[in-house]
Amino acid sequence: MDRPPLLEVKGLVKRYGGLVANDRIDMQLRAGTITGVIGPNGAGKSTLIGLIGGAVVPSEGSIRLDGRDVSRLPASERARAGVGRTYQIPRPFLDMSVEENLEVAQYSIAPFIRATVAREERRALLARTGLADVATLTGRALPLLRRKRLEIARALALKPRVVLLDEVGAGLVDSEITELIELIHSILDARTAILIVEHVIRVVRECCSRTMVLNFGKTLIEGPTADILGNDQVAAVYLGTGGARESQTADGTAPAADSAIHVSAPEAEAQVLAPLTAPASAEAATAPALQFSGISAGYGQARVLQGIDLTVERGQAIAILGANGAGKTTLARTISGVITPTAGALLIDGQDVSGWQPHQIAALGIAHCMEGRRIFPTLSVQENLLIAARGADALTARERLEAVYDLFPILAERKTQGGTSMSGGQQQMLAIGRALMARPRLVIFDEISLGLAPIVMDKLYDALALLKKARMTLIVIEQDVDRALALADHAYVLEHGMFALSGPPRQIAADPRLRHIYIGGAEDASMGELTSIG
Amino acid sequence: MSDAIVSSPRVGSASTGGLVEVAVLVGALGVLWFVPDFAGDYWLQLGFRTCVYLVLAQGWNLMAGSAGLVSLGTSSFIGLGAYAALGLLNRVGAPLPLALLICATAGGVLAALVSPALFRLRGLYFTVGTLALAELLRLLMVNVSAFGGATGIILQEDPPALPVLFRYVLVLAFLASLTITLCTRTRVSVILRAVRDDEDAAAQMGIRPYRVKLGAFVLASALAAMAGGIQAAKLGAIEPYGMFGLQWSIDVLSMVIIGGVGLRLGPLVGALFVVALGEALADYPEAHTAIAGVILIVLIRFAPQGIVGLAVKLPLIGRVQA
Amino acid sequence: MPDIGIISSTIVAGVLLGGILALTALGLSIVLGVMRLVNLAHGDFLVVGAYAGLFFLQFTGIDPLIGLPVVAVFVGMLALPVYSFLLAPLAGRGAEAQMMTMFAVSIILENAFVLAFSADTRSIARDYATVPLTLGPITFPLIYLIGFAISVTLILAVHWLVSATAFGRDLRASAVDAQAAATLGVDVKRVQMLTFALGAACAGVGGTLMGAAFQFGPSSGGAYLLNSLAVVVLGGLGNVIGTLIGGIALGALQSIGGLTLGDGYRDLVGMALFLLVLAFRPDGFLAKGRT
Repeated sequence: MDRPPLLEVKGLVKRYGGLVANDRIDMQLRAGTITGVIGPNGAGKSTLIGLIGGAVVPSEGSIRLDGRDVSRLPASERARAGVGRTYQIPRPFLDMSVEENLEVAQYSIAPFIRATVAREERRALLARTGLADVATLTGRALPLLRRKRLEIARALALKPRVVLLDEVGAGLVDSEITELIELIHSILDARTAILIVEHVIRVVRECCSRTMVLNFGKTLIEGPTADILGNDQVAAVYLGTGGARESQTADGTAPAADSAIHVSAPEAEAQVLAPLTAPASAEAATAPALQFSGISAGYGQARVLQGIDLTVERGQAIAILGANGAGKTTLARTISGVITPTAGALLIDGQDVSGWQPHQIAALGIAHCMEGRRIFPTLSVQENLLIAARGADALTARERLEAVYDLFPILAERKTQGGTSMSGGQQQMLAIGRALMARPRLVIFDEISLGLAPIVMDKLYDALALLKKARMTLIVIEQDVDRALALADHAYVLEHGMFALSGPPRQIAADPRLRHIYIGGAEDASMGELTSIG
Repeated sequence: MSDAIVSSPRVGSASTGGLVEVAVLVGALGVLWFVPDFAGDYWLQLGFRTCVYLVLAQGWNLMAGSAGLVSLGTSSFIGLGAYAALGLLNRVGAPLPLALLICATAGGVLAALVSPALFRLRGLYFTVGTLALAELLRLLMVNVSAFGGATGIILQEDPPALPVLFRYVLVLAFLASLTITLCTRTRVSVILRAVRDDEDAAAQMGIRPYRVKLGAFVLASALAAMAGGIQAAKLGAIEPYGMFGLQWSIDVLSMVIIGGVGLRLGPLVGALFVVALGEALADYPEAHTAIAGVILIVLIRFAPQGIVGLAVKLPLIGRVQA
Repeated sequence: MPDIGIISSTIVAGVLLGGILALTALGLSIVLGVMRLVNLAHGDFLVVGAYAGLFFLQFTGIDPLIGLPVVAVFVGMLALPVYSFLLAPLAGRGAEAQMMTMFAVSIILENAFVLAFSADTRSIARDYATVPLTLGPITFPLIYLIGFAISVTLILAVHWLVSATAFGRDLRASAVDAQAAATLGVDVKRVQMLTFALGAACAGVGGTLMGAAFQFGPSSGGAYLLNSLAVVVLGGLGNVIGTLIGGIALGALQSIGGLTLGDGYRDLVGMALFLLVLAFRPDGFLAKGRT
């Protein structure tokens, strides 16, 4: 411990406009060690990897590699200085063979390396990363797991001193994770340091000597991995209990169903929402509001949803839970038509709408409050709202606008401002308000609490509770388990593109497997048992 | 499987493929060298034009197919080469090969000089920037009397005989093809394709994308300048509207898209096709470019890999190609 | 040193001409903003406008400036099938496929002009094109003032359409995040088609004005396109008011360049500015002032 650290990060800050993605991060990576970084979605973990790897330019702070300040060097120079990284979503060179993908790294750092030497190195790397049998296939032809391995192999071809692994475990099954852990251990030698950003806690537990927890862009806690993972505060951050108003039980699972929403005059508030809630239509009263039958969907080669069945009744509020990469957002996008299912049928009010365009599905009264808010920066707050009031005459649009302003008064104050000039929480209110402007029958809320302070989350969930009272059909996709379970009538937990658990919220909240799915912890309960449920 | 062959030209050993390619090129040079001994002027004219086009298309294909740079400014470098060549021949009395080498240098230097403007933003700006560059140079030549103004300049001595010129341009086409072979059959090719596929990921692998793109641009520009130089030596008289005309850029782009962007045989097939189309429609000059336009639209829509891409998809030819 | 009358006349003429240049670039600018497409056939759309104005005059005898709405609708309608049959099927294939397709359209149009109208240069001959207007020491052709007034009016109308109407809202939303807009119910393809047609309609009017102010021929499209690109780069992408300012700046600078260096350098000044702006201010002089 007397040697200086291989990589030293001091006071690292990254701001995007008003948003602080990384706030004064300090970190030291020593040669021969593996360090983990964990934290909920939106905590700034990928930004940290980007900052160290050179893809993101820091706003403040320094990054020293072997004592040399590299914080202003572009990504190419960092790679040459010995920083290798993987991408969370693999980015192989799609039209090049696996072997050529490695050659890129080899020849860029050593253009005149002897061909035989380079070939031997590649063969060794491919064997080590389990890619020897696909060496001549193109990157495009590889399935997700192989692409992830290629990411690692490519980073290693740089012969890096610091290896940054961004969510390499996400989307892998348990046996694959075992192999991954072995691989990570095999990378480590006395002159190398590894940084792992990971949602799969098992990887962190079995690889990292020290772990840092990020929350809201800041370091929440840092220390030996065993201490960190046993820490209730950390579990609370993951399950979202960290900021909930209700007192929590010691094990971090909340008494969910009765976390009542505090609204001064609920009846009056519900009245306010009338212009935003579509009346129940008589004709389709028998058909469910939404039905998935055997839906598979994904992006290109990557099949994310694996034959999902789901029925949402009118007026029901359902919660879709699951760890990062489980397929929650893909599910939402499939409903709104952004993604066309590759198999199965999507029914809305009993009508098969598979393959419909997003604007046609929107016209059926389905609103999608998208992940990441997706506020239009070139439109004012009011314009952002009005754009969703399709086909409404001026008077009706005005009524709905007033109703949204009643729900979120801050939006009325800011109505002429640019949509993205507001804080994250206010933008999320705008996104929710915008979804309601369509006077929808069904609304999908995708990760509305992401990266927001607990008090802001409370406000948003108060609004959702009102919508539920008004008998609007709600699909809530959340990382924050407690808030979603408190709201929902029924909950589903996604794992690897299938439902691993489903049932009433109280039952789900009490189920010990929920915690396993989120923060691993497969000490005794076997993963095999878990996956068999889906 | 055919897709994999198209996108990854290196099936089997890289060096063997490269050696075969070099052997084919040398063989072609050896055979074609003797064409002037028995072919008439008509065929030499066609051969000359095909070779000039091939040089241009090889360079353009390197930029677009390997580095993702779509240029509409080929004529800038053709015109520059043409003016430089005639200037050197007239004023200095330099021998043609030396003049062509100086043309190549001038083309490369110009490319390097304008690259800060053209590479500033990715993608479309490069295309519109190259278009503007050609227009700028044309206007400059029209207006500056030292360059002959709108009437251009004339080669004072007699241009070399057609058979001689044919052999010069043949060697030039050979050298251009050999250079591109070196770029696509060696480790340079993986670097180029990495930058085209994903610039950010390439940078993360230690590649400096700016330098790579600049290299491709400089090389293609040097080739275009040499093509312009020898074209000017053949014409004996040049003027800005012709040498800096958009038609050059249209032709080279058509050739590569028709042949197959990023494919090794694309430029050759495209050059032959465009020359043949020109001959077939020689009596209808207006219809000629319009038909080229229609062919472009159809190919972009239905066969983005061009004629070679279509051919490789046929199983039999695909195997032979591999 | 030329006298003050010539200098001020030149600058005023440049500013007025710049207004017309802004209109000729407007279509290119909004199509670039909404569709991320550099419409390489834009110059030829302007030429279509010029011919349309010319033949409108020949066949009806009505002044083409009165017939401008007809020309606008005509050129706008011509653009609809170009979008539906050539551009829409290429959606999702990257910007280059669409750009190259429009390049091919440009080649075809240029040849079609030669076949249909011969290679002669023409102009829309009206009295006001040649009549000089004198205000104190300043003298310039009347058509410049008329063209400027029409152009500025039309640009402000388009600005109003983009910034204050429901269609403009859809247009701006589609430009920044087409997927989010579609999810909210915006038919993005339709917005793009109408934007493309609107751009072509503006080009039709701009082309008629250019045809009345200057001579034109089948191959004028190339020069029109390059001037329009210079205006767009000067004014900032997809920015309506920026396009107006960019046009006026280009017109004034071209006039000053022509006065100091010689008339042949007018267009050269434009191209040089274009490359300089690309090198040093790639987002345009008005990088912040987006509408």
